[in-house]
Amino acid sequence: MTAEPFAPHAPQPMPTITAATSGLTKVYGSGDTQVVALDQVSITFKEGEFTAIMGPSGCGKSTLMHCAAGLDSPTSGSVRIGTTELSTLNDRRLTQLRRDRIGFIFQAFNLLPTLTALENITLPLTIAGRRPDPQWLERVVAMVGLAGRLGHRPAQLSGGQQQRVAVARALAAQPAIIFGDEPTGNLDSRAGAEVLGFLRDSVRELGQTVVMVTHDPVAAGYADRVVFLSDGQLVDEMTRPTPDRVLDRMKSLDTRSRTS
Amino acid sequence: MLRTALRNILAHKARLVMTVLAVCLGVAFVCGTLVFADSTAAAHRAAASKNFADIAVTVTAKEPPPGSSPDQHTSVLDDALVRKLAAVPGVAAVRPSVDGSAALNAADGTPLRTGKSGSNLAGAYVPDKDGADSRYPLLKGHAPRNSGELALDSGTAEAGHFRIGDSVTLATDGPVMTKRLAGIVSTKDTRVTAGGTLTLFDKATAQKLFATPGHYTAIDLSAAPGTDQFALSRKVAGMLPAERAEATTGAAQANQQAILVDTLTRGYEKLPMVFAGVALFIGSFLIINTFTMLVARRAREIALLRAIGASRRQVAGSILLEALLVGLAASAAGFLLGLGIAAVLPDILSTGATTLPHGPLVIGPRPVAAALVVGVGVTLLAAWLPSRQAAKVAPVEAMRSAAQPPATARPRIRAVVGLVLLVAGAGLLISLTGAKDASEENLRSAMLGCAVLVVALIVLAPLLAAPVIRLTGRLTGGFGIVGRLARENALRDPRRTAATAATLMISTALVTGLAVIGNSTGQALDRQAAAGLGADYVISSRTTMTGIDPAALGRVAGTSGVRTAAAVTDSTMVAGGHVRTISGIDPDSVNAVMKLDFTSGSAKDIGPGRIALSGTVAREHGVRAGGSIDVRMGRSQDLKKYTVVGVYKDNPVAHDALGARSEVAQHSYLPGSVQRLLVRTEGDATSKTLQEQLRTAVGNSPLLKVQDRGELVDEAAGVVSGLLDVMYGMLAIGVVIGALGIVNTLAMSVAERTREIGALRAIGMDRAGIRRMIRLEAATVAAFGTLLGLAGGVFGAWAVGALANGALEQYSLVLPWGTLLLVCLLSLVIGTAAAAVPARRAAALSPLEAVAEG
Repeated sequence: MTAEPFAPHAPQPMPTITAATSGLTKVYGSGDTQVVALDQVSITFKEGEFTAIMGPSGCGKSTLMHCAAGLDSPTSGSVRIGTTELSTLNDRRLTQLRRDRIGFIFQAFNLLPTLTALENITLPLTIAGRRPDPQWLERVVAMVGLAGRLGHRPAQLSGGQQQRVAVARALAAQPAIIFGDEPTGNLDSRAGAEVLGFLRDSVRELGQTVVMVTHDPVAAGYADRVVFLSDGQLVDEMTRPTPDRVLDRMKSLDTRSRTS
Repeated sequence: MLRTALRNILAHKARLVMTVLAVCLGVAFVCGTLVFADSTAAAHRAAASKNFADIAVTVTAKEPPPGSSPDQHTSVLDDALVRKLAAVPGVAAVRPSVDGSAALNAADGTPLRTGKSGSNLAGAYVPDKDGADSRYPLLKGHAPRNSGELALDSGTAEAGHFRIGDSVTLATDGPVMTKRLAGIVSTKDTRVTAGGTLTLFDKATAQKLFATPGHYTAIDLSAAPGTDQFALSRKVAGMLPAERAEATTGAAQANQQAILVDTLTRGYEKLPMVFAGVALFIGSFLIINTFTMLVARRAREIALLRAIGASRRQVAGSILLEALLVGLAASAAGFLLGLGIAAVLPDILSTGATTLPHGPLVIGPRPVAAALVVGVGVTLLAAWLPSRQAAKVAPVEAMRSAAQPPATARPRIRAVVGLVLLVAGAGLLISLTGAKDASEENLRSAMLGCAVLVVALIVLAPLLAAPVIRLTGRLTGGFGIVGRLARENALRDPRRTAATAATLMISTALVTGLAVIGNSTGQALDRQAAAGLGADYVISSRTTMTGIDPAALGRVAGTSGVRTAAAVTDSTMVAGGHVRTISGIDPDSVNAVMKLDFTSGSAKDIGPGRIALSGTVAREHGVRAGGSIDVRMGRSQDLKKYTVVGVYKDNPVAHDALGARSEVAQHSYLPGSVQRLLVRTEGDATSKTLQEQLRTAVGNSPLLKVQDRGELVDEAAGVVSGLLDVMYGMLAIGVVIGALGIVNTLAMSVAERTREIGALRAIGMDRAGIRRMIRLEAATVAAFGTLLGLAGGVFGAWAVGALANGALEQYSLVLPWGTLLLVCLLSLVIGTAAAAVPARRAAALSPLEAVAEG
């Protein structure tokens, strides 16, 4: 992260690369049942940028995110977070890297039911044995609007509130990059819009880097950049997207993948 | 439905294996015990019937009626009668015998197999027409031919390390004798083969020792083929002088012996049966838990079945069917394991002094039926509650999300029921603390109280889980977030945690209770044995039917270093239907050798017609010093009124009553005999050499024990050390089953939480952290069970121990800290070790589980 987390987002002449893949290939199975999920994907995620990964079902967008986030290991190719090459790390190091430099937001929230909202938010820090920065925490909590519900257990919160806790959890450790896996997939449109708003705010106001997998053009409309994946390959990219433009692009992708 | 049940069993193999194991253990103990008991009884009975196989009728002398003339006391069983009986038509052979008992010293000078009374047989080797005694076939050497020779059976000779030609030291009642081993015989007498000894003398010597010269103690007749035993018996009885001898058939004797043997061996069943009961009781919690978890896990599946039209009855039925199949499998496995247990039990239960006869395993219908009833019955019974739960699953739950169904406990009802039971159990036990004795009624209420208390703890356990685990959480809190998560996970489903902990709770409670009572009793016995004894050495005969050689008395008193040697005659007295032990003492010397604590009166007034009573006896008969009591002493036939001159606090050295030695000895079974010598040394010194000198002074007689104070105390504690073995056995069973339960619950809980564990891995908890979390969860559950059990056990022991107050003057609650600590550590360590497999499985989960579908 930067030394100035509170600095307002301003256009930078040479944005740093937060994460990058090059020649990333993931193959499942072998022989007749072999499926190529990712085929030579090279992509970079710049600091302070909100990227959405889109594509039809089975295009490999989730696999791309899992590999980029160090949850899954690629068959070949390289993944870097900052300057760290993930393939050189053992499980313990990789776990530490996820803990210290990556934040996650899952479709199913994945909060620990036995912990309160606040405890869930600080969990990655607690696991690392670090004390949360109180000012930062206050700011994050205020941003996602959970100040009154910190003592609640996940079961006492609505889906939208739970996902807001998850967003706060991802932000709390001030990671280099946050990965979201269909973060609005389990939410109604209003709650989804809230969560996406927070993610965008975190990029704009806090300078956070966010990568999100989604199949919802409306969600993609919140991003700075949308990349399109089809059959495991990067096929297109769009900056300053709007839902309509994304939808059009998706439609053409759908037709192409059907006719090909 | 059968197919569904079978499929479900196959789908949940691993989970059910634990259940099968638990039931199997219990069934194995039950079957093993029954097969063992049947086999042992069969071996005894077979041997017993062989013994009497060719004895048609036995003629024995009758006890002369009281007040009869002296000539009636001489036996009528002489050679003349033997010849007369031999001439009776139908009699094939006549074998007169002279039976008595003899205690032997082994080659190394220690008493040989003298531990059990009635098993040191002695008799005469009476050659028949062929010159041999067919009852005792000679294996080696020759039959005893004169008073300097004897024969032993092969088992005795082997155990005593004797060879032909060795000299054997023995005693029949008084003085020690030494004879040469002339021959080794074999015998089928079960009293000998089951761990006794057999000594054979020549006829004249045996008659001199056990009867009168020329007379026998019994005459066995064998019948010619085709002769009816009962007809022969009646014919023989007609020839015998009336009132002087009687005839019994061999069949009747065989029956009698078999009944006796049965009563003796029945005790062997008890201990393994206790283990079986404990194993099944604890195991049933494991079964309940497994099926409850399976039902919870399958709630959606069951709801789907309900939604597509299965009735409640069908759903419950399919669960019970599953239980039936599991129970059948467990019964079969348990039965086989039980056969193994039955095969090794004789070796385990045989200690140096007593050996059980070995025979083929007898598998009767009893153990087979028991295996089925116990295995299937317990499983079905335990699965009944979960099956009811399954029936309650609403069809709509099929539509709900995968979220865990919250435990819909009714804590208020539970609390009320639990507290009522707790108060009832505790109240029952506390009401006993005022009890004066361990009467049957009090013991029964104590058992009931303990049982109610255990049930109360089981009912309350889910409610106690939260506070107790919060408390232990203080300890696991030191492990940071991992400890915190472990604690919260244990608290997530208090009912499941409580059921898992219940097995450990019960075993810990049992063991703690037994350990505390055993320790307290042991210490009380120690104190009592030491407190009542003023003497430094006690020389005592092994039975009241034998005495100390009068000549030895003078030799002991004359041993250098001995200050006082007080003789005590032990006999019995019957008062108000109770048989008591009375010690005949000399009022002048008694205070030097016994520490008597008189609550009223004193020992110096004891004399003919004047006795002192122990506190318990005085209380039971409602007499006080100065009162009187009707007593029939020893062999005397008439009740006589005795003045009670004193009451002393219960004292194991003084027994139930004290009387003048001259009077007690006059009525004792061996008139004039002495059973104990209490020795006070110069300056109360004790030493190995002095003990050796005393042993020599009594001729190193195998009939006598020479013990110092410490040995006497150890002997009193013998009962208690047996209790300790039982205790550790139960702890082992309980802990093993408890561990199975923990493995089961954790495996299930890990399976339910894969997504959560995956998320933890994704956001940065490493494998070691996950493993530690699961292990701490196991430790938390184990600690909960152990703590609850410890509390219940100590309370129970405190309350039940109060019963001992009446019986044991010196009883007070003494906590065996070492043992208790050991119990806690063992439960915790095994509980935590049980988590190894689930912990490894959890740690192996990929962080991708967090994003997996479903």
